[in-house]
Amino acid sequence: MSPTTQTLLVDGHVVELRPGDTILNAANRADVSIPTLCHDPRLKPVGACRTCLIEVEGARRLLPACATPATEGMKVNTESERVDRHRKTLLALYLTDHDGTQEHGQGGAPNQLASMAREVGAPTDWGQLPSKRRGSIKDDNPYILFDPDQCIACARCTRYCDEVESVTAITLAGRGSETTISTADGISLLDSTCEMCGGCIDTCPTGAMTERKAAEVQAPPESDLTKVRSTCNFCGVGCQLDLNVDPAANDGRGLVVKVTSPPVGTTSNDGNLCVKGRFAYEFINHEDRLTTPLIRDADGVLQPASWEAALAATSQGLAGVMERHGKNALAFISSSRCTVEENYLVQKLARQGYGTNNVHQCSAT
Amino acid sequence: MPLINGQRPGTIYLVSSPNDPRSTVPDRLASAGGLSEGVARVLSRDTGLHEADIYGVGSFYHLLARPEARVRVCGGLSCQLAGSREVLSACKAAGLPTEEISCLAACDRAPAVLRDRRTLPSVTVEDATRSAGKVEDLCSTDSETAWLGTIGPETQSMGTHALNLLGEPDWSAEAFKAANKMGPAALFDLLEESGLQGRGGAGFPAHIKWRAVAGQAVQKRYIVLNADEGEPGTFKDREVLMRRPDLVLEGLAIAAAATGASEVYLYLRGEFEVPSGVIAQAIAKLEETNRYPDITFHMHAGQGAYICGEETALLEALEGKRGMPRLKPPFPVEVGLWGKPTLVHNVETIAYIPGIVLKGGAWFKNLGRTEPGTKLYCISGHVQNPGTYELPLGISLDELVETAGGYVGTLKAFSPGGASSGFLPASERGRALDFKGLGSLGSMLGSAGVVVLNDTVNMRWAAEEQLRFFEEESCGQCAPCRIGTHYLHAAVKGQEKSLGLAHVGDVAWQMNEGSICGLGQAAALPLTSALKYFPEDFS
Ligand SMILES: Cc1cc2nc3c(=O)[nH]c(=O)nc-3n(C[C@H](O)[C@H](O)[C@H](O)COP(=O)(O)O)c2cc1C
Ligand code: SF4
Ligand code: SF4
Ligand code: SF4
Ligand code: FES
Ligand code: FES
Repeated sequence: MSPTTQTLLVDGHVVELRPGDTILNAANRADVSIPTLCHDPRLKPVGACRTCLIEVEGARRLLPACATPATEGMKVNTESERVDRHRKTLLALYLTDHDGTQEHGQGGAPNQLASMAREVGAPTDWGQLPSKRRGSIKDDNPYILFDPDQCIACARCTRYCDEVESVTAITLAGRGSETTISTADGISLLDSTCEMCGGCIDTCPTGAMTERKAAEVQAPPESDLTKVRSTCNFCGVGCQLDLNVDPAANDGRGLVVKVTSPPVGTTSNDGNLCVKGRFAYEFINHEDRLTTPLIRDADGVLQPASWEAALAATSQGLAGVMERHGKNALAFISSSRCTVEENYLVQKLARQGYGTNNVHQCSAT
Repeated sequence: MPLINGQRPGTIYLVSSPNDPRSTVPDRLASAGGLSEGVARVLSRDTGLHEADIYGVGSFYHLLARPEARVRVCGGLSCQLAGSREVLSACKAAGLPTEEISCLAACDRAPAVLRDRRTLPSVTVEDATRSAGKVEDLCSTDSETAWLGTIGPETQSMGTHALNLLGEPDWSAEAFKAANKMGPAALFDLLEESGLQGRGGAGFPAHIKWRAVAGQAVQKRYIVLNADEGEPGTFKDREVLMRRPDLVLEGLAIAAAATGASEVYLYLRGEFEVPSGVIAQAIAKLEETNRYPDITFHMHAGQGAYICGEETALLEALEGKRGMPRLKPPFPVEVGLWGKPTLVHNVETIAYIPGIVLKGGAWFKNLGRTEPGTKLYCISGHVQNPGTYELPLGISLDELVETAGGYVGTLKAFSPGGASSGFLPASERGRALDFKGLGSLGSMLGSAGVVVLNDTVNMRWAAEEQLRFFEEESCGQCAPCRIGTHYLHAAVKGQEKSLGLAHVGDVAWQMNEGSICGLGQAAALPLTSALKYFPEDFS
């Protein structure tokens, strides 16, 4: 540290101040963990869930670490008795309004509220309130399930939809204890501007917003699933995604029960996916899916074949057309589901291999 | 040039933020008759805003969210003591589309009923029955003068009463001229000398806010009048707006000139149709005479939400959003309306300004007893003459009630400053009703909405009613308040078997420590104070 470096103290650790730092950022760098629920680094902080409140020397009130700028010389205390009591009583209160007994919701979505309550040792005997939140997103869209009982009104989903997707299909609705998440007039997401990106699901900390299909197949908790990192093959952007495989399903052959995005900040898509990447995965285990090359026999019936045989037949066929009708009788059309590299190779094959410029890719128009 | 956006008195006024259609959303929703199905989509086409956003705003404000209700009977304590529940039943029985509503700032004329946007004082069961289900025929006393409540003491003069609500309005703008001659620096010193504290609830020294706004680097500044008067038991601002619009507008003009603002926003609660007409006429009058040539007055009607009295929620509402309080800091003096430095004042606070300018800081200060100035005390509940009384700041409950004609029955408890101040026992009847003293008791002077309860009242019931109010009026943004008010209300009501009163202390602690704004921070007080002073009512 140079003598001009600005610092603050978090639980006694000296932390170097960086431009735009919040207390939460600074604490993370000092490996001081502060619980958060409404915080998502992609979104503007709102300080609404109150789980991250900490003490700052000189401040009368507890302050939200997620929304308070860190400043030179600040002394932050996250370990005081007051902070501890705050966490315990706040989470105990949350538990009266939500089912905190399950650490995962429908479809196996993790419920951070429940695990956090366990971690801070929140009392669980304060009783149970009847939830007043309405589930006003009518239930007929095939992908997204909203369980109002689990919703803590942290507004991550609505802020994501607004600030990241720029869609604003959903909003905080109502007031007071009836505050919930809704579309306009509670219409179906399908009748709204929703693009079904599923980002609301991804950001939801409690599993209140979750994958309907995973719920339908009663997918087990995510901790029991095998996450297989893959690249989405629907377009050339190359979003990273995690195929969540239930190894026991499908008679032990495994079944993809949902697709999730890798954690924010770890891959280039930063936790985002689109409708195809997140929801169009059923082809993987679909019975109509081709899993081996096919060649027509003399009667025109498709017969399974090896890759060697199929490639040989293709190359033979192409050569035959060229011989009979010339190279411009050939055209090469590749799929937008190929990667950029594969598309590059297809045009290389067309131009260099066969000497034709008849090459096209389906997302080029 | 003063203008009110070209609207007729008594109608809805569009706030003009030149570039943002969002600020027009609440008014557009009101003009569309509220949030009926399909309205959000139509307004989305008109404004280019997302329909979900518009729906979110409409669903927040109770005057918009349920357009079918046209009659709303006050369910506040003072109104219930005057039989509002019977009126509510009678309205329903008569076939009127009726629901209950939070305090209408007419507790001195209980029971109060809101018909569309007009508050009707002293409605009776007979009025409801006679209407035979026709909303328009539910009128009782419907003239504008019927809106004027009792003012005391009966003899007032400008020498001894800083507001002098019984005095004649004065349109000479003499104080405005005098303030301009004095210049901002001297004016701020004068305010400091006067010791004027904000009358909206927090009692914050006025001069500090004026200096802070004037000292900002950003040149665009706003003045905002907080006339949302929603704290149960409070109705003084209504009287000031009705009787002395001259003082309010001149105070605002002085504030604008001194802090370098040229635009003034007046936020009146939506139920103030009558006072809003009076203010609109007053602005028109000033416009004719061109009294404040460099200042523009914009009027804005609230759409039904107590929380919009909290200054940052009010700013959100003015910007056309859901009225959810902002995180503080930054405070409005730095980052206020549309992000600009903003001076927000309560009606009563601003109305003292012309007097202080003309008569001096020492004069104002000496009018008080334990703290500077006179103060408008609202008193309702079990007293002979409910009304608004201008008395030296720091008088006791007994003195106040004596001015108001005496107690009805035997005093049991009182709320010194609205629902947020909780309850105090009769033994505190001699204590000074001021900011500091009540604060040290764990209560507060707040808005000085004093509600008196005699020994016919069960304090568990009273606490339950206040918690119902807070649960309904919480903005719902932060968990300690959203869940805490729900929890305490359900616990004191005793309906949920699994809840008892054992955790009230912890819940109250959490609400006070964890809530974003003053609503949640104070909302447990009616219950904790009732438990502390009246345990026998809970056994
Ligand atoms: C829940 C809540 C409700 C409030 N309601 C009002 C109100 O109706 N009128 C008002 O003037 N101030 C109200 N306030 C206080 C305002 O936030 C603010 O302090 C005040 O308008 C500042 O003006 P003053 O300095 O003149 O008091 C409320 C505060 C809270 C926390
Ligand atoms: S799926 Fe995407 S577009 Fe649809 S509501 Fe969720 S975040 Fe918004
Ligand atoms: S659905 Fe999830 S993300 Fe949205 S407000 Fe509720 S808990 Fe938060
Ligand atoms: S304390 Fe209550 S009213 Fe205030 S911001 Fe929180 S939820 Fe809203
Ligand atoms: S994470 Fe800071 S308040 Fe929610
Ligand atoms: S108007 Fe009914 S209690 Fe205030």
